[in-house]
Amino acid sequence: MKKYSVKKIWRYPSRLVFFRLDDRLLLIVLGALVGVCSGLASVALNHGLSALSDILQSCRSLWWAFFLPGIGAVLSFLFLEKVVREGAGHGVPEVVYSVSRYGGLMRFRSSFSRLISSWLTIGSGGSAGPEAPVVMSGAAIGSNIARFFSLNERQRVALVGCGTAGALAGIFNAPITGMVFTIEIIMGDWSAVNVVPIAIASVAGAQVSRLLSGDQIQFTHLKFAIDMTSIFLSIGLAVVTAAVSVLLTRCLVASHDIAGRIFLPFWIKAAVGGCLVGLIGLARPEVLGEGYHFIQKMVEGGFPAGLFLVTLLVAAKIIATSLTLGWGGSGGIFAPCLVIGSFTGLMCHRSIMALWPGLTSINEGCFALLGMSGLISGILQAPMTGIFLIVEITGGYETILPLIIVSAISTTLTHAFEPASYYLRDLISSGQYMRPRTDARVLSDLSIRELVETDCITVHRSMKLGDFVKVVQESHRNYFPVADEKSGKFVGMIHLDDIRPYLFDPLLYEAVFLEQIMRADPDTVDIADELSEVLDRMDKRRLYSMPVVSGDRFVGMVSKATLLDRYRHELMVQS
Amino acid sequence: MQMQMLHIFRNTPLGRETLLQTSYFCSQTGASPVIYVPENLKFLMYFENDVVQIDLDKSYLNNPETAKARAVNVIESMGLATPRFIEPKHFTASTLPDIPVNFEFMCCPRSISDLSSKIGLGHIGPRVRRIVKSATFPVLIPSMLFKPFTSIAVLFGGSHNAMRALRLGLRIQSFSGLPLDVFTQADDKRSQDDFRGILADAGLETQMDKNVRKWYFFDKSRFQDNLYEISHDALIVLGSYGHGLVKELLFGSTMEMVQSVMTNSMLIVGHQYRAGV
Repeated sequence: MKKYSVKKIWRYPSRLVFFRLDDRLLLIVLGALVGVCSGLASVALNHGLSALSDILQSCRSLWWAFFLPGIGAVLSFLFLEKVVREGAGHGVPEVVYSVSRYGGLMRFRSSFSRLISSWLTIGSGGSAGPEAPVVMSGAAIGSNIARFFSLNERQRVALVGCGTAGALAGIFNAPITGMVFTIEIIMGDWSAVNVVPIAIASVAGAQVSRLLSGDQIQFTHLKFAIDMTSIFLSIGLAVVTAAVSVLLTRCLVASHDIAGRIFLPFWIKAAVGGCLVGLIGLARPEVLGEGYHFIQKMVEGGFPAGLFLVTLLVAAKIIATSLTLGWGGSGGIFAPCLVIGSFTGLMCHRSIMALWPGLTSINEGCFALLGMSGLISGILQAPMTGIFLIVEITGGYETILPLIIVSAISTTLTHAFEPASYYLRDLISSGQYMRPRTDARVLSDLSIRELVETDCITVHRSMKLGDFVKVVQESHRNYFPVADEKSGKFVGMIHLDDIRPYLFDPLLYEAVFLEQIMRADPDTVDIADELSEVLDRMDKRRLYSMPVVSGDRFVGMVSKATLLDRYRHELMVQS
Repeated sequence: MQMQMLHIFRNTPLGRETLLQTSYFCSQTGASPVIYVPENLKFLMYFENDVVQIDLDKSYLNNPETAKARAVNVIESMGLATPRFIEPKHFTASTLPDIPVNFEFMCCPRSISDLSSKIGLGHIGPRVRRIVKSATFPVLIPSMLFKPFTSIAVLFGGSHNAMRALRLGLRIQSFSGLPLDVFTQADDKRSQDDFRGILADAGLETQMDKNVRKWYFFDKSRFQDNLYEISHDALIVLGSYGHGLVKELLFGSTMEMVQSVMTNSMLIVGHQYRAGV
């Protein structure tokens, strides 16, 4: 039996006999490690945000306090761009991209960069959430632990999922939400191989959070009485939350586009966006930071604002979030969605009460919860995440029936207007969103280089037909590339069908040159082309094979038959 | 299939020297240059088990309007066909393109991130180290000034990676027809016969006898002193063990020592190198 040194075993644990029995054992052990690390990251960010918020609290009432979010956004931007040189982005799309395209490979710097940048943005009052940054951090931790232990691509993707689950479970103290979010949004794959380690990581992340921050749910558990009226009215709430989800998505995109069109240094844009948020915050402090404090009040029924003010707050929070994230701040949309959702729920409650003042069976706290679920489900187009998040952060199942209704309807209606979730819309529009075992994913893992058949015999343009017939006798292929004998440049193709009219007339053997009968300038494929593009071209032109060139040289042929072989093999590997 | 060599083009006189070296290497080996003219100061290279972010210094973005024409001029002046330019198709973020890594060679200056004033002997930038460590292709670190190499010098110390460097040297010799010399520094434990045994085990003994012009075997004085025997215009092919950065800085390695002494162009075979040529 082959012996391995201690160093090799340490860096290659998958070689241990114990883990070779079933690699799920290895994933469970490493998943727990990743869950603990990402849980620690989420606790660190949570405590950091509380500390910074406490420090700046005394300044909030001063006139110049509106500068604070601007300063935070600038520092956050400069940290990301100049110190860690991370590149733009809010976190979750980058994680999905990495899983989709590169088997979960992520940079080490991503494991801490967003934690610090979002701490600066949110702690100073920017309207954003810490969840997306912590998700990115957890995913990068998982990816780099997988890299350290030299795991393969499938195992690395699983650990990226573990990091995501552990981080989200840690920040919300919600293990099921961490697990469901990871599978629904990040992995898009409910295979048992992934679910088990992700579940373990989720538990580990939540447990770390409980050990270091106490076993507390985010919002106080209240018992709401749910009757038929509430369930019926929740359908109306779902429609409103879907509309607000669409509005928020479009505002975020528009804000980003507007900022992109303004020719100012990025750090000035971040400052302008942050200061505008600060100005809104001077009038309505509810829009600042993550805003969980106000959600708590709404859930408890202690938020005094009337219909007009709550409607105004929905609009103000949407604008503040768009300015923060669109103009250069760092953070996620999870927490703003919860705040806007609870405002939306309250707005619906106030509207109903204005229309039917005698209706006492519906509770404003319950509507705030349902609104949160509707917004999360609508924006993320992930109904399960919306349902489980609210159940876990409130610690009760009483509202489960209207929660399911609101989440399902909100997701469906939002999907009708915004076909992709906020996280995935850019990836889908650029063709980068590829789920495991889908056609796009399999094709993306194959390249023209792998498929090219190089057993073609190249002939020269000045070759006589008689000589070519001898070449045909030696070859088993129907296509023959034609090259210039001096320069070697690819000039055309000859198919057996092209010589059929001359084949039975030996007199032509010495009179016809290949240059006269070849197909000049045929459709070619560049060796660097994407396989999906090549297949589209083949389909449009009804071709079964095409010549592959590199520069002006013939390299070989790519055919659908070879592609099918490799496609099946790749599909088996991915399965 | 024609081999390809990736080159990140810097539109400066220094960049021209580097591109001339790439062009010459391609003309000798039959590879075709593939040029990336950066439009952003950073890009990513996704290798099989690592992702490397390259942060370029600002000179890489000089005069973008003339960059492609100048690169074509340099390449064509060496009698090569018009090169292919990489247009990134995938982006990790809007200003962070992903560059493909499926090449047979890559040319990298000693440092890709720092100002050119910092580039000198004894310094290989951290990004270049990461590329060498992660790449499945050998990395050509060119001399500061373009100097055509007229022979190949393989540093062979008997390790697994040195063996791969030797195989690569033999292949390049077969493409280019240039004379190949092998340089080995004896240690206390192994004699030349032991090294011959290693080559015989690898099935390279016949090829060595047939294709190697001279095998320099040093059993006296220090290796860095013996490096003087390497011709000033030889392409040095050597393996990099793949230590971590800290370990390499603390304890050094053959690659560290060679690159701090020699001004020649070096072709470095990394730990992940797979014989694609």
